[in-house]
Amino acid sequence: MKETDENIVIKVNHVYKNFNIYYDRANTLKERMLFFARNKRREKREILNDINLDIKKGETVALIGVNGSGKSTLLKLMTQIIFPNKGTIETKGKLTSLLELGAGFHPDFSGRENIYFNSSIFGLTKKEIDARLEQIIEFSELKDFIDNPVRTYSSGMYMRLAFSVAINVDADILLIDEILSVGDQHFQEKCFNKMRELKAEGKTMVFVTHSMDTVKNLCDRAVWLYEGKVRMDGNTNEVVDEYLKVTT
Amino acid sequence: MRLNMNIFQKIYQYRELLKTNVKKEIRGRYKNSFLGVMWSFLNPLLQLAVYSIIFGALLAGGDSTYPIYICVALIPWTYFTTTITQSAFTVIGNGDIIKKVYFPREILPISVVTSGAVNFIISTIIILAFVIFSGVGLSWYLLLYPFVLLVQYVLLLGISFIVSSITVYFRDLEHIIGVILLAAFYGTPIVYKLEQLPPNLQIIMQLNPMTHIINGYRDIFYYHQMPNMVTLSILLGISVIVTIIGYFLFKKLQKGFAEQL
Repeated sequence: MKETDENIVIKVNHVYKNFNIYYDRANTLKERMLFFARNKRREKREILNDINLDIKKGETVALIGVNGSGKSTLLKLMTQIIFPNKGTIETKGKLTSLLELGAGFHPDFSGRENIYFNSSIFGLTKKEIDARLEQIIEFSELKDFIDNPVRTYSSGMYMRLAFSVAINVDADILLIDEILSVGDQHFQEKCFNKMRELKAEGKTMVFVTHSMDTVKNLCDRAVWLYEGKVRMDGNTNEVVDEYLKVTT
Repeated sequence: MRLNMNIFQKIYQYRELLKTNVKKEIRGRYKNSFLGVMWSFLNPLLQLAVYSIIFGALLAGGDSTYPIYICVALIPWTYFTTTITQSAFTVIGNGDIIKKVYFPREILPISVVTSGAVNFIISTIIILAFVIFSGVGLSWYLLLYPFVLLVQYVLLLGISFIVSSITVYFRDLEHIIGVILLAAFYGTPIVYKLEQLPPNLQIIMQLNPMTHIINGYRDIFYYHQMPNMVTLSILLGISVIVTIIGYFLFKKLQKGFAEQL
């Protein structure tokens, strides 16, 4: 890596991503042999088309765009849940993602057990989790319910726990997909404050959101995706204004 | 850079997840049953009783230690089959998490093989109880038990990598495995002695890795003689190769897991 690239923590380099949409997929051997023509009836859908993006350390970036523009796919690629058909994505440092509410929660485990379980998925050791446990419980404001199984939680409580774990794992990069809409005003406010704090600490964050208030409030850079391409990339206010002009 | 991170480093970093997963699998196995962990002991014992009665009448020829002869083979065999059966299901069963969170997917097959090993070590108590109370007794060759277990562990790890990743793309494998394992049960000298077979069949049986592993356990616990260390060492070498091939196959196939599931 060149020296000028040292500050880049996420490097998206000529990334293409297609999904195959099968109309009727042959899953078993029998189906595959009997209806071998079936799998051919598929549609190749281009989700991302030559995306280039460099995100520097400490930046807070919002990915905006209409539904189906490839925002969430790009975020999943950064997390390494899925992989590009062409091009590369490189990330530097510890990465945590909050793609879906309570992913990696076990409904029968208590809140406390799930903190351990969920943090271990993010790659924390027991000692590290022990040290953060109080902080996580306190942030979630779920002290009275922490030993109940999480299937008894409301969706707001679920989200609070999930969020509290994710922001306390000390990741260098935080990827967040449209989940902050859950939770009451008070908790949302608390989350924003925490994220400003993380931002001040020099953490890198990437959001996918439709809430332009969040974008303007928190992000210093916005990337507008349209039909799998970067349509505009730059200062938040400029990009958001242009985006609103076109879509509304 | 995470992509280039060495596999051992990665597993070490995620050791807590591995530990939790192993625990979950051991605890979850008999979770809603009345007798709980007792089934870990009851299951092989009941199986053993059935085989001893049926095959004892057919094959034992009046040998009173025949149940022990089966016991020392049946328990490692159970480790072998349950691990492979579970491997076929582990990636599919964890689909929800795979689709939403990043973690090294290798953890899944590794925890299946490891939790099976823990279970097997606990079940070894049954073997020990049997050999002690039946008068077969113990021997110093017991010290080689960890070595035979290591050979079996590495072999299973390789198979687990292969089975768990291919099943995602080819679901039939789950059912094919069931049939293969049933055939393999009779293709491994568990209920009979290798010498009872015609010579040309014996040669074919030598190609079955489980034959040598079962023989190893049997030498240690039953015959009280030195296991064939040369054969076992060669098998360990082959198992390492299988594991390396399996790992690279898994690594390649895991890229599509989230989209396939």
